Amino acid sequence: MSLITPQPAASELEGILKHRPELLEKYRTFYLSFWHDGLVPRRVLELCRRRVAHIQGCEAELALSDPQTRLSPAEETALAQGDFASFSAAEQSALVLAESMPNGVHYISDEEVKRAARELGEPACVALLTALSFMDVNCRLKIVLGADVAPGSLHDDILN
Amino acid sequence: MSTIPRISSAIVGQAEDFASVTAHAPDMIARFFDLYAEFWQRGVVGAEIKEMTRLRNARITDCGY
Repeated sequence: MSLITPQPAASELEGILKHRPELLEKYRTFYLSFWHDGLVPRRVLELCRRRVAHIQGCEAELALSDPQTRLSPAEETALAQGDFASFSAAEQSALVLAESMPNGVHYISDEEVKRAARELGEPACVALLTALSFMDVNCRLKIVLGADVAPGSLHDDILN
Repeated sequence: MSTIPRISSAIVGQAEDFASVTAHAPDMIARFFDLYAEFWQRGVVGAEIKEMTRLRNARITDCGY
């Protein structure tokens, strides 16, 4: 339950952000660009989004799932535990960055960034690092605004 | 933290900086600047408060940039 009165909207968080509709629209447009521009594989984004949410303990974010990315129960468990061994080399290179973005951004090494750039390409690495920052922002927003925990589709409503 | 460029410049002849590195994803960064401008140029929170919190956040995050 949020302490801020939501406006009528598809979700409580969107209702809160509708107090600044122009800001909400530009935030949504920006955040959706990661998922739609194709620079970073969608599965990599979903793995990272869920890992960041686990680190932040953001249940509202974890309640969402990307219908285009089917993760197995074993993969979900591995993400929750921070065990990346079963993922591909490219996925691991991204998850290593996701691991440090919320609470240890200064500890991300040159080699970790270069590895992601090698595995994914430099444009994708730039997009991934930006996406990770805002996945973290999304979690922080949902936690601080008191967003409801409700299952939903990431595809339908990125800020659900 | 690194003080050397980790990603090459996407702009020929321009050294690595925030603009030239993020130019690898031009559509994304254009939308980011659109969002950031909206945040700074409009709204009911005064510019002084935004700037004060921006500087405090940069200090807490130890971001010298």
